[in-house]
Amino acid sequence: MNLNYSDEQNLLRDSVSRFCTSDYDFETRMKSVNSDSGFSKEHWKLFADLGWLAVPFDEELGGLGGDVLDLSILFEEFGKSIVVEPYLANVVLAGGVLKRSGFDKKDEYLSSIVSGEKQFSLANYEPEKGYNLENIETALDDKGLLNGSKSTVLNAPNADYFIVFSKKVDDFCFSLVSKNTEGLTIKSYKTYDGFVSGELTFKDCKPEAVIQEKDALNNLEEVIKDAIVCISAEAIGAMEKCYRLTIEYTQQREQFGSPLSKFQALQHRMVDMFMETEYTKSFLLKVLATEDKDEKTKLIYGLKNQISKSGKLVGEEAVQLHGGMGVTEEMSVGHYLKRLMVIANIFGSSDFYLQKYINS
Amino acid sequence: MDLNFSKEDLDFQSEVREFLDKEYPKHIKEKMDNGDDLTRDEIVEWHKVVAKKGWMGHSWPVEHGGTGWDATKKYIYLRELAMEGCPMFIPFGLQMVAPVIWTFGSQKQKDYFLPRILNFDDWWCQGYSEPGSGSDLASLKCKAEKDGDEYVINGQKTWTTLGQHADWIFVLVRTDDSGKKQEGITFILVDMKTPGVSVKPIITIDGDHEVNEIWFDNVRVPAENVVGEAGQGWTYAKFLLFHERTSIAGAPQLRRGLRGLVKRAEKIFHNDSPLSEDPFFKTKVAQIELDLSALEMTELRGLAAEREGKGPGAESSLLKIKGTELQQRLTSLALEAAGHEALPFGGPYGFKDQEVSSPKAAQLTAAKYLNFRKVTIYGGTNEIQKNIIAKAVLGL
Repeated sequence: MNLNYSDEQNLLRDSVSRFCTSDYDFETRMKSVNSDSGFSKEHWKLFADLGWLAVPFDEELGGLGGDVLDLSILFEEFGKSIVVEPYLANVVLAGGVLKRSGFDKKDEYLSSIVSGEKQFSLANYEPEKGYNLENIETALDDKGLLNGSKSTVLNAPNADYFIVFSKKVDDFCFSLVSKNTEGLTIKSYKTYDGFVSGELTFKDCKPEAVIQEKDALNNLEEVIKDAIVCISAEAIGAMEKCYRLTIEYTQQREQFGSPLSKFQALQHRMVDMFMETEYTKSFLLKVLATEDKDEKTKLIYGLKNQISKSGKLVGEEAVQLHGGMGVTEEMSVGHYLKRLMVIANIFGSSDFYLQKYINS
Repeated sequence: MDLNFSKEDLDFQSEVREFLDKEYPKHIKEKMDNGDDLTRDEIVEWHKVVAKKGWMGHSWPVEHGGTGWDATKKYIYLRELAMEGCPMFIPFGLQMVAPVIWTFGSQKQKDYFLPRILNFDDWWCQGYSEPGSGSDLASLKCKAEKDGDEYVINGQKTWTTLGQHADWIFVLVRTDDSGKKQEGITFILVDMKTPGVSVKPIITIDGDHEVNEIWFDNVRVPAENVVGEAGQGWTYAKFLLFHERTSIAGAPQLRRGLRGLVKRAEKIFHNDSPLSEDPFFKTKVAQIELDLSALEMTELRGLAAEREGKGPGAESSLLKIKGTELQQRLTSLALEAAGHEALPFGGPYGFKDQEVSSPKAAQLTAAKYLNFRKVTIYGGTNEIQKNIIAKAVLGL
């Protein structure tokens, strides 16, 4: 048994951590959030230059050939600063599908993710159709045209290309659709945690290519599972920051002639936040260390349930212990809560995954 | 013991329903039902409608223009309004400063302010908390110095709800800092139009502008605006806080919110069957419902005690804690039910260029969840409420 990270993994952590602590303070983050694109192009270029956008891809692409364990390291550090740059949408979701597809030109497109030149989005969920991945109506017809609509398309307003999951005859497929395709409408919005997302409508859209026709659903399931592990790691980073911010705040805030941190009732609350974070970290490590595929899948469902509960608890407590200041837009702690609540509810709620855990 | 309404009570219930049916302005109802924000004018309009009916003083003594209703009637009235989704009454005049004025104020203050509050001619706001004095309110520093027959106020208040709309503010100021911190506090009424008063918005995590900082820069206020005795403000402040806490349990609003969520859940699909049939969801709904029944009964007990002349005491802390915890459980469950349909936010962060297909009710859940983080903090945090119960009820 070995629960240690490799030297390379530690280097990756150090590199991401250094960026987050020295170049990505809360003010910098909010500048990204309040900008038109919702992220900083300079940061994105830096991520590419540092090789971060290549982490899960093959070495021929300049990648590290990494897996979800490597991604989780990066996401945990991102979580501490609630980085809004669209890493999940590009690298984990769209890149994840492309990587696993049999598309003959995939290296060309993956290279453009790795270099940061192009932006991608995965479009699989549909309005009011819930979280079952196969519950969709958008279809690629026998003339090769796409019709239907997609929602919760993370990073949609920035995407040059959409990877679209649709029906095709009796099966599912993935297509590559350029943002300029005729018949494609993009409606963009910002999400409550400050990220960007959108909805797509396809009217007789001609994709650039159909990139996978067989086992597309299976590909999507694998990608969503990776995404769950990544956002769970991000949540753990955010939770750690939450209890640290709370400790700091209660140590300097004085009421009744004493720092709040001296009140035992509040100390116990912070201890609970700490324990919840560590406990969830253990759960994540259990998932990462499990090799059996079915067992790992089951544990990932469990992880989503766990992270939804623990992220909510820690985020809410952090805000509560900051008092009135906690609910202000100008303080960072409320933004951690927002991100934690989005993480709790994207790709499916805690109950949805508890049910999947029970049934698998 | 009898939980049934009498014939008279039922008649009264019909009367309230008839009033709402006829007089609750349709354009306001539509906005409230859609979850849209009301303008200042619309909020005033609603209060005036109620004032015209003579029902503003539902918890006021008859001698000051109150309805003189018993606990049951008051309960029925507030419940009907809440179930219909009417706007909440702005409590700062009606439920907070008014009881202080009629209990401790001068005849002149009673004669001038009470009818105006009852008619909603003035919009009141609260000047209690300061940046350095939240839970430890008595440590407040906002200073008022006597100068002839005026007080000159300098300092800052914060978390003032809807202060941007207010005509008047009641302020706790320090007029003496020689003794214990609870001594030397004075309760004073300030016209918001007085030179030197400025309002600075605080934007909260739901993207809303609901609370404000209020700054006082050499604000000159007539000494006759002091309520009761100078230096005795802490007593009045505490008296007011008990009133505030009883009014924020919000059981009828919870009942309506829960009903709305259960109905929406019939059309929400997380998996292949409606959320309303999901055993996990049903369990959470049932647990909220059970706690809500207990909360309603606790509220009724409080009303009954009040009627017997036992003013709201430390028990109101129990209502505040339990009510606000339930409000948060409900808004949190609504957010969870809306799931990723709740993501579209726009607002504070910029673009939401077109109408997205995600249901509006779902989109509102995030802002509501975030807005309701405040309820366990305002009116004295729930931690402070527990201290009060420990001390005043349990004698610890």
